[in-house]
Order: sequence, then C-alpha cells, then structure tokens
Amino acid sequence: MKKYMETLRRSQSFYSYIGLALVFIIASVIVKEFLTFDNIITVLRQGSILLILSTGLTAVILTGNMDLSVGASSGLVGCICAQLLRAGLPIPLVFLIGLLAGALVGVFNGFLVGIVKLPSFVATYGTNWVVAGLSIIIMHGDIIYGLPKGFTWFGTGYVGPIPFIIIFALVIVIIAYILLQKTTLGRDIYAYGSNKDAALFSAVPIKKTLFSAFIMSGLTAAIAGMLMTARLNAADATMGDTYGLQTVAAVVVGGTSMLGGEGGITGTVIGAMLLTIIVNVMNLLGISSFAQPMVVGFVIVVMVLFDSYSRRKQNTVVRRKQPQTN
Amino acid sequence: MDNVILTTRAITKEFPGVKALDSVDFDLRSGEVHILVGENGAGKSTLSKVILGAYIPEGGEIYLGDEKVSFKSTRDALQRGIAAVYQEFTLIPYLNVAQNIFFNREPRNKYGLIDHKKMERDAKKLLESLNCDYINVKLPTKFLSVAEQQMVEIAKALSFNPRIMVFDEPTATLSEREVESLFRRIKKLKESGIGIIYVSHRMQEFKHIGDRITVLRDGKKIATVNIDEVNDMELVNMMVGRDISQVYHRSENHFTGEVLRTEKLSDKKGRVKEVDITLNKGEIVGIAGLVGAGRTELARLIFGIDPIGGGKLFIKGKEIKDNSPVKIVKEGVGMVCEDRKRMGLALNHSVMWNTVAVSLKSFFPKLLISHKKIVEIVTDYVKQLRVATPDIYRACKNLSGGNQQKVVLAKWLSANTDIMIFDEPTRGIDVGAKMEIYAMMDKLATEGKSILMISSELPEVIGMSDRIYIMNNGRIVGECKRGELSADQIGALMLGVGGDSCAS
Repeated sequence: MKKYMETLRRSQSFYSYIGLALVFIIASVIVKEFLTFDNIITVLRQGSILLILSTGLTAVILTGNMDLSVGASSGLVGCICAQLLRAGLPIPLVFLIGLLAGALVGVFNGFLVGIVKLPSFVATYGTNWVVAGLSIIIMHGDIIYGLPKGFTWFGTGYVGPIPFIIIFALVIVIIAYILLQKTTLGRDIYAYGSNKDAALFSAVPIKKTLFSAFIMSGLTAAIAGMLMTARLNAADATMGDTYGLQTVAAVVVGGTSMLGGEGGITGTVIGAMLLTIIVNVMNLLGISSFAQPMVVGFVIVVMVLFDSYSRRKQNTVVRRKQPQTN
Repeated sequence: MDNVILTTRAITKEFPGVKALDSVDFDLRSGEVHILVGENGAGKSTLSKVILGAYIPEGGEIYLGDEKVSFKSTRDALQRGIAAVYQEFTLIPYLNVAQNIFFNREPRNKYGLIDHKKMERDAKKLLESLNCDYINVKLPTKFLSVAEQQMVEIAKALSFNPRIMVFDEPTATLSEREVESLFRRIKKLKESGIGIIYVSHRMQEFKHIGDRITVLRDGKKIATVNIDEVNDMELVNMMVGRDISQVYHRSENHFTGEVLRTEKLSDKKGRVKEVDITLNKGEIVGIAGLVGAGRTELARLIFGIDPIGGGKLFIKGKEIKDNSPVKIVKEGVGMVCEDRKRMGLALNHSVMWNTVAVSLKSFFPKLLISHKKIVEIVTDYVKQLRVATPDIYRACKNLSGGNQQKVVLAKWLSANTDIMIFDEPTRGIDVGAKMEIYAMMDKLATEGKSILMISSELPEVIGMSDRIYIMNNGRIVGECKRGELSADQIGALMLGVGGDSCAS
C-alpha cells in the first residue's frame, strides 16, 4: 500500500488525480443531482468525443511535439463521411474511408515534422487550416443532416442502459493505453520524447515512431469526427473547431509534459473528464454559459500551475542531490 | 618568493556528500603558467572556481600578494584583477564581438546612450593586442569559429586588466593549429607579467605551455613540481594514485578473426578521410587523437548516424551499404557515446526503461511486452554490473556518472552486442568507477567481444588497447601494437609531427 502511494505520488498525473477527486467531491456535495446514475452517464457521454481526440494527441505530445490539427481533422472526416453516406455508400466502407482520411492527415503531419523538419506547432497549425479549408470545399458551405439510422446509431444508440459512444470511447482508451504502455512502439514514443538523440543512438526507428504518433492522432480524430457526425445526425465544416485547443488542454491538464517523454493515457482520461465535469456542474448550477469559458480557463491555468510547480520541486531536489564537483 | 601574486592556504570546499577540496595550498607567481591537473572529480575546476569567487570555500584563506581577501562573487574577484576564460563560452551568440566584450558595462556617451563607436574602437584595440585584428568586431559571435570565439573570450577577460587569468580546459574544443596559436597568445600574456592558472588533463600539452604543475587527487593536493622535473609516468601515477599497471589491467587474450573492417571509409563532410581500420574478435582497439581529429565522426559513421561518403564498411564480413543505427545494431554493434547525458540515456526515465531501450524488441518480438519479464531481465543486469541504485524504477538523472555509464553498458549488453564502440567511456566519472569500467572492458574482451575505444586520455588508450590507431585531421596517421610506442611518440603523432616513427 505504501509503495502504491509512493508510485501515485511520484506519477506525473498526481495533481490531476487530486484535482479530479476534489472537483468530484465538491460537485457531489454542492449539487445533489451530480451523483446520480443519469448525470454520470451524461458526463461520460459529453466527454467521450473529447476523450477519444485526446488519446491520440497524447501520443503526439509524448514525443515532444504538438498536433493542432485534431479539431479540424475530425470535422473534415465528419464531412467526408456525411457526403459519402448521402451518396449512398455502405456504412462499413464509409467508416473505412473515414479512418483512411484521418490516417492521411497524420501522415501529412508526420511528413512535415519528421521529413521537412518543421516545428510541429507551426506545421500542424498549417495543417489545421488546410484541413478546415478542405472541409469547406467538400461541404460547399452547406450543412448536411438526416443521415442513415444505421450510422447515427453509433452516436445515439444504447447497449443496455449505457450509450454506445461511451463504450466506444472506453475501447479506444484501452487500446491506446496498451499501445503506449505495453508495446515496443509505445516505449519508442516515450524514448523519442524524452531524448531524441539517445533514442537515435539506441537504434529506435525515429521516423517511424514519429509517423506512428501522428497517425494515431489522425485516427482518433477520424473516429471522433465520425461519432460526432453520428451523434449530431448532421455535418458542418466547422463542427470540430471548438475541440482543437480543448483537446490540448485535456492532455496537459492530465499531466503529460509538453516537452515529451512524461505522462500518459491515464492522465489524459482524468484531464478530459475534469474539463467535462466542470462544465456539467456549471450547467447543473445554472451558471450562465457566458461565464463558463472563464471558469474553465481558470481551472486549466490552476491545474497546469500545480503541475509545473510539482515538476520544479522534483527538479530542485534532484539538483541538490548531485554535488557539483568540477 | 617575492613575485608570488596569489596564495591559497588550506582551502576546503564541501558539497553534500563530497569533500571537493580538502585543505589545499596553492600559489601563483606573476609571469608563470601554473597547470592544475587531476582526473575528473579531483577538484581542479573547484579550486579555480574558488579563486574566481564563483564558489565560497568553507575553510581556508586566499591572499593577493600579502593582503587577505575573501570573494563573495566573481564580480569581487574581477575587480581585484582575476579573470577567467571558461571551457564553455559565455558569449551571447546574437550580439556582436564588441557588444560581447563590453556586455553589461558598455561605454556611454553624454546622452547616457551606448557609445558604439568607442566600444568598437576599444574592442579592436584589445583584439590587436592578441594579434587577432582580423576578427570583425561588428560581427555577431555566432558567425565566428570556436577558436575565434575563444579569442573574443580572452579579449573580454583582458578588458578587465587582470593580473591573474584562469583558463579552464581551453583546448578542449580546438583543433591542433588553433591550439598552437592559443599557446602563442598565452605565452605573450605570460611575458606581460600576468599569472596564468591553466586547468587541463591533457598530458601532451603540459610541456608546451607550463612552468609549474600542481596535481590534485580526490580534493587533496598531491604535489607541486617544476614541469621539467617530472615525466609523464610519474604524473600519471600522481594523478591516479596507484601504479598505472593496476588501473589498466589486461588479461591474456587471443584474437580470432576479423569482425569489423573499413576500406577507405570517408564521410560526406570531409572530417573522416579514407580510413582503413580492422577490429578482431576479442580485441580492444584504441583510437587516439586530439579533439577535432575525426575520431567521434569515425565512430558516428561506423554506427550509422552519419551517411557514408565513400569507401566500404564490413561488419562480420558483410558489406553494409545504407548504414543506419537500426541496421548497424542488428549486426550486433553498440555505441557508448561521448555525451551520455545527451545521447546515451533518457535521463528522466528509469534505469529499467533505459536498460531495455535497445533490447526490448528482441525480448518481445510479438506485439505485447511483459512488465514482469522486463523487471527480471533488468534486475539481473543491475546486479551483474553492480549499478548502485535503490531500485530499478529510479530515474537515471539521480544516478552518479559512473552508474549512468553502467546503465548505458547494460543497455548494450542486454541487446547481445558483440562489437562495442566506446567514445570517451570514462569522461566525468570518478576513479573508482573508472576502474570498474576498465575491468568490464577487459572482461568483455576475454569473453570474445570486440571493442573500439576512442579517448582523449592518452594513459587510458595506452593502458587498455591491444592496438592503437592514431588519427589526425580525419586520417589514420599511425598504428602500433600494445607497448610499441611511448606516450610521447603517440602524442607527437596526434599533434601531426614526427610521422616517421609511425609503424604502419
């Protein structure tokens, strides 16, 4: 137990755990509707798209890079799928093409960052615009609605009392967790983010690793985009836009270091849930939607503050331990 | 001695867990070059930093002439005429030469604004006094070569009108020609009456530049001697503190069959030129040469970091065409890098993940990895190599240099590497750990592994190698078997003189 506590305390997501626990307790106390089955389901359903987007982005941030194109990519895939469905293509094929489109965006980002060697922040911001522009072209400025039932079920259907979308998000999270923690690819991603030179000298296939991370991000963006479209029963060129930076916030609030190499999926789940719960609680309390973004902003700043403070503290301890001889 | 300008008495400096300086007496005369020498961790840099006011000692006294002083900062020391030229440059790359020299004390005109004209004029004068007037004072320093930057550093130090100058490993990043010109300038400074403290561990330089030499070991002063009264072996014994043959112990060994060969191997940037070397099974081959001679570049080329520009590379008889680390490692080659913090380890990752960084794929060829098995493997290597760490989950940044190096070794051993390239394997680690690394290398060789070792420390190369190649300016300029050439002869070849004694 003691050992378990120490692992927990030393983990990068420690403050995220505390943050989530605090918010959860406070919410349960001050809002009596919060801790009901229906509301918990609502929170999970609302958070599932963000969660899916964040899992892929976690891989990219773990390499020490950034992907600012996830929001727009999810929008693009949603639009592509809606158009294809309207054209009457079978649903499994549409899913496949959607995934392929997401992967292609990932390959494009990987190319810009890994081969052309642009800073990922700028490169993926560029991709963000390209992809957003593509969506507008595909949609001709329209909104498509009224999609086939078989498709919308993925966004609105239930398995027993639980919405399918939650189960889907859970599956994605588990796959991403296994990929990052239990495979050599995952270890390569961590190694790349922690020290790219050391990774190169340890014969880590560094280009392949970087591409894999961006492709993961592209794939989760595609899945999120399709689920979003299914849930809304509509597609619009701008529908992914709000998710872009929110996804970054979820990953960072979850304790994954923007410098790479530290953090992981567990933290990201917490980060995404934390952001979702705060909005949910404010809705339950009837706080004006005008005031909500400000509160969310504060929460993000405070969480990142805690995180960077704890990191700094750890580092000072280390520095004192090492005598500076010569 | 009436021309003694600086004396320290019983200087003691402690860092948590380490006595970096233990009651050290030292003195400096005007117009002399006093070399401070010792292995890494011996306390030579610490002593120079105490003199420079960068460290405040716990005990002891410093005298300038007869006056007792105590410096609270480097600024105090500067005001009393003690200036430093550090190993790592302190120049700001985007500022020009003049701005750097007068950084933070720029001359002002009558409006209180910076007087650029005067600043540039003064900078020019300083550089002229160093015979470096070819350096453009208006150029940002990032456009200057390393040697030119160093001259700017020296000019900056001179601008304080120092009586004492401290050079901390000034030749570490210079080519041999630049070293020569640096030495000429140091001699000139010395003739002008400045006392010079010269921190170094490069034996081959001492005779060229030094007057007296003080040897430190484990924070204690061992001796101060006139440079012409000692020979290399005596110095090494003083530095190491025991008979050199014990430090560099080599077992009897037989070499069987060639495992690595290069034929006129060159890189694309002209830093490695038509290199022919061979390495046999069970052999330790040393590559001696100055920094910039192309040794590290040769290692990077063989390991696949840099692309081959010409010639051929054979590993175990097989020609390697498109070299990349992934490919080379598959052939069983490993590389222990010069800069383990930057290239050897993911410092904030645990001992465990660093140990299996290379071998993970071979242990788990299928998709999933097993945490339990990794723990078993790593625990085994940690025991074998006696890595001092409380547990295998500890981040590598918390380990000492020697133990970090052992983790790097474990990384390659676990990957079943049988050809190891060591680039400065003992840099920055203490004597005890060094001896363990040497013993390890000897053991690896007797087990039939082959080692290519690059080192700037000549005693290490001579002590450990079965065969030595000497590199100069990208080429192999000499080859000798164990015991064939003396340190002086090898040193001369490294500097590019005396090519006729070469045995190749």
